[in-house]
Amino acid sequence: MDARIKYSLLLVGIGIILAFLPYNATDAFRLKSDELLSKSASEENYLSVDQVARMVNKEDSTIMLIDLRETAQFKECNIPGSINIPFSDLLNPWWEGTFNQKKIKKIFYGNGDQTANCAWAIVTGLGYKNSFVMKGGLNEWFKTVMLSQFRGEKITPLENALYETRFNARKAFTQINSLPDSLKRQYFKAKEIKQLKLDGGCQ
Amino acid sequence: MNRIKSLKITILVIGILLILVIIRNLDRNVFKEKAKTAVDAVRNNSNVITVNQLKKLTAPYLIIDIGSESRPDSLQFQHAVKIAFSQLLDKANRKILNDAKGELILYADDVATASRAWVILNQLGYKNLRILTFENNPEELKYKFQPDTTARLEQDSF
Repeated sequence: MDARIKYSLLLVGIGIILAFLPYNATDAFRLKSDELLSKSASEENYLSVDQVARMVNKEDSTIMLIDLRETAQFKECNIPGSINIPFSDLLNPWWEGTFNQKKIKKIFYGNGDQTANCAWAIVTGLGYKNSFVMKGGLNEWFKTVMLSQFRGEKITPLENALYETRFNARKAFTQINSLPDSLKRQYFKAKEIKQLKLDGGCQ
Repeated sequence: MNRIKSLKITILVIGILLILVIIRNLDRNVFKEKAKTAVDAVRNNSNVITVNQLKKLTAPYLIIDIGSESRPDSLQFQHAVKIAFSQLLDKANRKILNDAKGELILYADDVATASRAWVILNQLGYKNLRILTFENNPEELKYKFQPDTTARLEQDSF
């Protein structure tokens, strides 16, 4: 039989099989449900606000804070160094490069815990690695970092270190978010250039 | 007969592909929904139900308690079953989920656990699935940021 007929039959056969696939493989989760469940049950993918505060103070370049709130809320205030990916825009292919950075810890946060954990499960289910959630979201950040106070007569070295971390993070948060929008843009641009220089890139 | 013989490689390839597709589709651990369905539901807030809404619910429902030390008195509902989060997809528990009539309502002390469970079950194709919350909007910012108008960044930052 003619080779062309053979190939045609093969392609038609494959086409029929693909047409009857009950889901869109490109939009569906790549992880299997039991894998995602065991990852979800692990406490390792949560970070406390104190851990995040420490990273913010160090200007840790191995983390990326992802604010999942809407842009208007993000503009009002956000944790220094965050980028804004509104939850509704999570599946935009534009962010693929961001989620794909395997060596960077992607830390999701919203106002509470719900959106960030849904985003974490979706992104992890889609096969992106190294994602985390800041436990408690911005509400916990305000409660623990912004409103932290020391009460009592004596302070242990551990408490002192913790207080200092919170104090510095609070200072950075207040300073950055108190700037007018134009200066904020300048600040982030300057930070971007600094980062490019550190990475050995050029402008 | 000769024609079939000459087509045997083609038939073999299609046959293998068909078997692989069938195996994949029969695997209950494979997610079949589009991720967009989960994003849309969370965005529309249609994946949560408050305690007050639940009390008014007339349709049948089953509360899946996936992680609470002890349910508060306000949450002592009749139609509740306790399933450990890590065992949510065990065969016996799946049967409970599959056999449930009406709404499936997930409850955990920690909304983070309930949210993750919700995404997993939603993507496995479970419908009428919601998270039980105490607040009307668990994603509301409870604090107001007060800008410090005297704050100035160091000049060398720019």
